[in-house]
Amino acid sequence: MIPRFIQRLPGRRLRLMAVVRLGRKILAGFAMGTCLMPATGLSVDSQSGLTRTQNPEGLEFFEKKIRPALHTHCLECHGDKKQKGGLRLDFSDGWKIGGDSGPAIIPHQPASSLLIEAIAYHNKELEMPPDGRLPAPVIEDFRHWVSIGAPDPRVAGPGIIGSGKQEISLEEARSFWSFQPLAEVAVPEIEQRDWPATPVDAFILRKLEQHDLEPSPEADRHALVRRLYFDLIGLPPTPEQINNFTGNDSPDAWSSLVEELLASRHFGERWGRHWLDVVRFAESSGGGRTLLFPDAWRYRDYVMDAFNEDMPYDRFLMEQLAGDLMEASDWLDRRRKLVATGFLLLGPTNYELQDKDILEMDIVDEQLDTLGKAVMGMTLGCARCHDHKFDPIPTADYYAMAGIFKNTHAIIHSNVSTWNKRELPQDPQTTRQIALHRAALASAKDEHRQLTGELKAMGDSIGIGTPPTLPDGFLSGKNSIIVDNSGALLTGPWVSSTHTPGFIGSDYLHDNRNTSETLTASFTPDIPNKGHYDIYLSYTPGSNRATAVPVTITTPDETTAIVIDQKTPGKVRATIDLIATLELPAGMETTVTVSNQGVTDGHVIVDAVIFAERREPGPGEAAMLARRMELTERIAAVEERIKQLESASPVIPVAMAVDEEETIADIPIAIRGVVSNRGPVVKRGVMKVTAHLVDQPEVPADTSGRLQLSQWLTDPAHPLTSRVMANRIWYWLFGRGIVPSVDNFGKMGNLPSHPELLDYLAQRFIDSGWSVKDLIREIVNSRTYRMSSQLHDQGLSADPDNNLLWHMPRRRLDAESIRDSLLAAASSLDLTYGGSHIKPGTRIEYGYEFDSSRRSVYLPVFRNTLPEIFETFDFADPNMMNGRRNVSAVATQALMMMNSPFVIEKCREAARALLSTAEGSTGTRQLIQHAFLQTLGRQPTAAEMEITTGFISNPDSPETDPEQRWALLYQSLFQSIDFRYLR
Amino acid sequence: MTNNHLVNRMMTRRQMLQSTACGFGYLAAAGMAARQAQAAVNPIAASKPLFAPKAKRVIFLFMQGGPSHVDTFDYKPSLEKYDGQMMKFDDARTLAKTREIREQRVYRNLWDFKRYGQCGQHVSELFPHIARHVDDLCFLKGMHTEGVAHGPSTLFLHTGSINLIRPSVGSWVLYGLGTENENLPGFITIQPSMGNGGPRNYSNAFLPAAFQGTAVGRAGVGAEKARIRNLTNNGLTPASQRAQFDLLRAINSEQILHDPGNDELEAVINSYELAWKMQHHAPDLFDISGEPQYIKDAYGIGQKGTDDYGRQCLMARRMAEAGVRYIQVNYGDNTNNPRWDQHSNMPRHAEHAFNTDKPVAALIQDLKQRGLLEDTLVWWGGEFGRTPYAQDNGTGRDHNSYGFTSFMAGGGLKPGFSYGETDDFGHHAIREKVHMHDWHATLLHLLGLNHEELTFRHDGRDFRLTDVHGRIIHDIIA
Repeated sequence: MIPRFIQRLPGRRLRLMAVVRLGRKILAGFAMGTCLMPATGLSVDSQSGLTRTQNPEGLEFFEKKIRPALHTHCLECHGDKKQKGGLRLDFSDGWKIGGDSGPAIIPHQPASSLLIEAIAYHNKELEMPPDGRLPAPVIEDFRHWVSIGAPDPRVAGPGIIGSGKQEISLEEARSFWSFQPLAEVAVPEIEQRDWPATPVDAFILRKLEQHDLEPSPEADRHALVRRLYFDLIGLPPTPEQINNFTGNDSPDAWSSLVEELLASRHFGERWGRHWLDVVRFAESSGGGRTLLFPDAWRYRDYVMDAFNEDMPYDRFLMEQLAGDLMEASDWLDRRRKLVATGFLLLGPTNYELQDKDILEMDIVDEQLDTLGKAVMGMTLGCARCHDHKFDPIPTADYYAMAGIFKNTHAIIHSNVSTWNKRELPQDPQTTRQIALHRAALASAKDEHRQLTGELKAMGDSIGIGTPPTLPDGFLSGKNSIIVDNSGALLTGPWVSSTHTPGFIGSDYLHDNRNTSETLTASFTPDIPNKGHYDIYLSYTPGSNRATAVPVTITTPDETTAIVIDQKTPGKVRATIDLIATLELPAGMETTVTVSNQGVTDGHVIVDAVIFAERREPGPGEAAMLARRMELTERIAAVEERIKQLESASPVIPVAMAVDEEETIADIPIAIRGVVSNRGPVVKRGVMKVTAHLVDQPEVPADTSGRLQLSQWLTDPAHPLTSRVMANRIWYWLFGRGIVPSVDNFGKMGNLPSHPELLDYLAQRFIDSGWSVKDLIREIVNSRTYRMSSQLHDQGLSADPDNNLLWHMPRRRLDAESIRDSLLAAASSLDLTYGGSHIKPGTRIEYGYEFDSSRRSVYLPVFRNTLPEIFETFDFADPNMMNGRRNVSAVATQALMMMNSPFVIEKCREAARALLSTAEGSTGTRQLIQHAFLQTLGRQPTAAEMEITTGFISNPDSPETDPEQRWALLYQSLFQSIDFRYLR
Repeated sequence: MTNNHLVNRMMTRRQMLQSTACGFGYLAAAGMAARQAQAAVNPIAASKPLFAPKAKRVIFLFMQGGPSHVDTFDYKPSLEKYDGQMMKFDDARTLAKTREIREQRVYRNLWDFKRYGQCGQHVSELFPHIARHVDDLCFLKGMHTEGVAHGPSTLFLHTGSINLIRPSVGSWVLYGLGTENENLPGFITIQPSMGNGGPRNYSNAFLPAAFQGTAVGRAGVGAEKARIRNLTNNGLTPASQRAQFDLLRAINSEQILHDPGNDELEAVINSYELAWKMQHHAPDLFDISGEPQYIKDAYGIGQKGTDDYGRQCLMARRMAEAGVRYIQVNYGDNTNNPRWDQHSNMPRHAEHAFNTDKPVAALIQDLKQRGLLEDTLVWWGGEFGRTPYAQDNGTGRDHNSYGFTSFMAGGGLKPGFSYGETDDFGHHAIREKVHMHDWHATLLHLLGLNHEELTFRHDGRDFRLTDVHGRIIHDIIA
């Protein structure tokens, strides 16, 4: 009774389960991983023995014990309604096939059956039922049932497909539009031949004509110039720049403005920022314990430079994936290529995660997920736990690619781990200086090692810096008398402790600082013969110790008082200091007393007092002592030299950059995404759905494969890379992609509205040597781009959503443009290019003050703390890869424009600047015109002029301060819809 | 139509305009916030739950840092019996680091327990005020959750994920139900912590921006000063601001004439109308000066220790009355070892209990006497509990996500009820376990939302608060 669906189960199958990313958890589904389970896994079917299931006692046991238990405890989640983990238990084939983790029951083998493991609660990750352990007798029943072969008469009813899986058919999948090769498209024939200025226009017009729609007329020149400035450089045109363009009648006024803006270095700031959205750029790690990325700015600058230099997009991608593995023409090129790989390390990572195996796979997953969406519009991350639910990406493909990143060194482990850093190459002269410095330091350290080694070898019992008179064996008591605190006479409540190591005997004592009593500890040695003795005090120094501990030494002849600093380590040992050398009489005549009298600033410690008789050095000892002195002096000198060298160390710039792992190996599939649940090992490689177009790269055994991956991605025959980027460029200019789901070119994404145009642009992109600027030039020179945003009735009724692009969409200014405009109007925008910009000394993002006046692209992007204006105006959430920004209109935005101190201040500054310029002497109307040009990029309409002059000149205005009235006018203009939108 | 839940109340903006006499007026009245071009929906307008709800709003009393269940509500005589003995426990932190199970010193509960109320619920002497209300409370003593450290577990409690970017519970609730008062934010968090995930704990993530939580102040800045950002203009007289607002209205009315029928523009205009209303209504929420003295006294306002949390709780009640859908009241701070995180000094629990006991009890009492408790779900709890053994053989307890206690009140839950058990020591939940996902599912259920159907399509797939998990705990529902 092998059910029919089993027979069509070879190879890979797609589970019907919901798509989930589970991280470390296994749950309901101890079923799983069958996506790669060979059909032989089902041979248990014959093993279980059909005869068994017909055995009447076995069946009776099932009916009496197991069926009710299954019904009560299991079927809610593993029955006909739900199949958690892909497992169902309502008929026998359900558990035979199992879910994602494979068969749930191996008949006769309870110890190997996942179901038993789960209900026994033996595996923390796999406890079923989840709300509590079953009563012990029930567990025992299950164990017994499995041991007798799990007799189970239940057969799947007709129409029940059980835990059935669907196969991914690559052949079928390849017919999906985005896996098709770029079509060779001809520029379409159209009727209104005089309309198109570029081929782009022909594609757009063709569709409009098919639907009897007229393209909107060209926008007015003020709308055009504002549109182009914001789109290409992200800054508002100044009144002068506006007038230059609107007053220029030459036929190439437009195209020369295009060239001017493409050549501006602000272009890279604007377009680089677009790319930073795509690669979830941020300057902190985010998550629970966010760490700063102080070197992330190098990557940001790299990206801006690349757009400014119009670096070919294929090279741009290759450098970000494998820059460290590519040839470099010189040190600067090498530096750039290392910085580029920061792309892989900028993700939101929970560096605190204690299980480092999981952490490494989480990073790999994040890299792969970002790469997939950013470059190919593929949600690769979905295949971490199971075959992709919608797109033809089996788990095996995922782990083939994951293997590439697993062999890429991305993290330095510690309790809280960090990203990998690499030193950046310097110019040759600096490199030489660094080498010299390092050599000097290394040789000094060598010398130090040698000298200290020799000193150590001279006598183990005597430490470095020991006074030459200290006899050997004085700590063992051979040549000395030790009186421990245990033999001391104590007064007051001393407290025993073993907290700080290094004490003599079994403990030491400290004063209880809470007491006001006077404490004393007296040590009386039995001196064998009269002579000169060195007296040592043993204590455990520490930062909470007293600095002036009174010690008195009393002999029948004299009393000596000494003060000891117990914060400072002793000179003999860290815990031992020589406190006096005195002539002592024989017998118990001498007493050393330590007390806490007058001590205010810390603990008093008493451990032991040591008395060592002085003697003259014997023959041979003198030479040794001389050598010891010499060594001690030389060591001090070398230490001083090392200190100096270290303080003069050149600062070597580092970047967030990857490296290859030391040992390279393919990795196993993590079944259900659980790292410890190892499936078959997969050869490093790429996804196979494009194999009909691009050759599958061979990854050499000794490299991660990043270089091969990047070559594969940028192969002109790759159907996704060029399309995805051409579509992004279109989106950044029109506010909507030809494929609206810019990050998803899979089944769950949108279809292209103009597929031929997309393929034309993609091909054009490749043919131009992957030049981003060329493609932008082609698009913005089109009439399509220059259309008005005005709506008309014919268009509204035929195509209300503007799918056919009969008018230019009205687009909202983004957060950066709003902020830069405010600063520009206030004449306080700092246009410095590039560089590190987190305030020096910043250690944590919380509470950071974003008070810079530089362009918005330079404000630090912290994952948990964004500048308020970013957060409010739909800045790309740096926690997720995000090619398309949200556009919202919510009250918090209005509140910010109404009441935020920043907005108010900038408007005030704008008013002040307006009134103090040359125009300050001119009339209200001219000033209003100037303010309109600054903010809205156009002249006021007659009605607007009337409204605003009325406001400024109102004699009854509640606002008596004229400058403030101008500030309020600016604020109103910045709040108005014509500021917020590009026409 | 990607987001199932919204399908019913979705129509294109144009249809909406056509179907109403005056487009702008309708939008203004409905509190419209426009989203992207293809569809218009008034995201925060109140909408009908999928089925009859037990609760209309939530007040979540977040005890940041992880209060110890064995010292508060989960009485374990074994801890006294074995106090000081070394026994093997599968300590989560030790396991993750060393994959070993080591001996730990059992550490007795430091406060005496007594039974209270008709239900006979055990409460330690830490919470004398809350103890008087046990017959109104529903205890979940078999809670368990994910994560070992604060960051991951705090994010899990708020978003259902320890590390992935997910909307917070409050955002989901607002997305599902909208707000009852459009002059106010629908999801408010009072004095949220900036640590342990910070804003992610009240973020809308990929849900539309209208569903984000609105912060009132932040941890570390006293409740007296806690306000919504940019709610008031400090530089202008009301008359000046009125004049400026009139100017804006005039300019916008002129500008929209040149772009008739563009509803996106109307949405922006409307956002200003909403903001204007919010500016004039929301400050009432924070102004407790008109509250009678006996109410302030009950909440402990003006009293040492309880003043700050008392003010927060009273504000929360005012918000609940005003129709705010989801209110989070935070007892926390911005450090890596927040408030209840007593790793080395358990006795400090007394301070935190004192600061919160009276305000929380007063809130429950106050809601009850106003008839609000019936349809307000009050939820008290931390991101995890604490170990029954001493950390590093010292005088504190480490985090414990295997088992802990939360309590709830109102909102259609069984009052005077206790559900779930931990083992004899309080280490693992063993019976009637409620995973944080399960609680999330139950919470949504109480609000009339099905956690499996409340989905949002993002990135090519449908997301939900409970991912593929979560069971509704019907046994605790009245």
